[in-house]
Amino acid sequence: MSDPVETEPLDLPQPRPARQGFLPIHTNAFDRVFIAVIVFVAINLLWMRFLEASIPLTVGTVLSVILGAFIVARG
Amino acid sequence: MRSSSVGWLFLTPTFFVLFVFGVVPFLYVLVIGFTQWNSFAADPTMHFVWAENFRRLVFDEPFLRSLWLTLKFAVFAVVGEVVLGYFLAQFFMRDFPGKGFFRTLHTLPLVVAPIAVGATWRLLTVPGLGPLPYYLDRWFGYEFNIGRYPSQAFAATVVMDIWHWTPLVTLTLLAALSAMPKEPFEQAQIDGANRFQMFWHITLPLLKPAILATVFIRLMDALRTVDEVWMLTGGGPASATRYIGLYIWRVVFPKTDYGYGSAMSLLTLYLTVVMCWLLYAALVARRDLRRPE
Repeated sequence: MSDPVETEPLDLPQPRPARQGFLPIHTNAFDRVFIAVIVFVAINLLWMRFLEASIPLTVGTVLSVILGAFIVARG
Repeated sequence: MRSSSVGWLFLTPTFFVLFVFGVVPFLYVLVIGFTQWNSFAADPTMHFVWAENFRRLVFDEPFLRSLWLTLKFAVFAVVGEVVLGYFLAQFFMRDFPGKGFFRTLHTLPLVVAPIAVGATWRLLTVPGLGPLPYYLDRWFGYEFNIGRYPSQAFAATVVMDIWHWTPLVTLTLLAALSAMPKEPFEQAQIDGANRFQMFWHITLPLLKPAILATVFIRLMDALRTVDEVWMLTGGGPASATRYIGLYIWRVVFPKTDYGYGSAMSLLTLYLTVVMCWLLYAALVARRDLRRPE
């Protein structure tokens, strides 16, 4: 029987623990930024289609930025 | 620390290729999507127009109709491929004479180029020449003409896609079925479970990752299908099979409206990502939610 080979432990980064906020899934920071971007685009497109005739798009953009920030912070 | 550095060194060529052929073209399309640019127009310069292309997009009825058609096509094609692929995979799990031969034969559509698949199906379905309209008329008195009837043209594109891509699903599910442990099935049999219960409570959960991966790949492919459909129907009759890929092609190449075409491409990419993410969140991420910490 030969001696077991000693191996150097790999210095791998530990994954950050997933968190559960108000979103119905566990998320990490990347997930929340991704969802915020998706929501930002969706709100702006729907605003242009249905609301821009009466309310300027800037309002929708500001709202979607606020919502995006909320998702990133508390999602 | 040294291992990490060596790892990053080995990954550098991959990142470089990904950056040059993936990230840079995406950023280029992203920038063009916010411009008005037609290099063959009277004014060939590029003008930054903010979200004007997207504003035009959400009111473009033919584009929205194409988008809806593409979603319908993708759902019919992917569901058909997964269901048929599962049954074929189960069939190829059994032993029968000539199994290897038939398994190879059934994967042949995969190696055919999409444009050749479209040409083949055109020869099969063109009225007055193809065997399909001829025999449908002779045996059932059914008039099959994909150049005249929109629903038949749509169905023909779906069937063609299923014919072309089901073998991929079969191979993926066959690999997943082959790798399944036998013990849960033996225990279920001892407990008196019937075939449906075994399928629902054992086979399907164990197959879920493979099915999900296959659905992702096929969904992305189906949403950007162009060449097969272009060859078979050319987007017609009228606009019955003018899927989003064909629509973008018409805007970008014959009309040379690069800004608007880029905006369409970006929206299509956005919808593809959203659909895949929703599917992932519904089938995988929610399961994690139920799991205790």
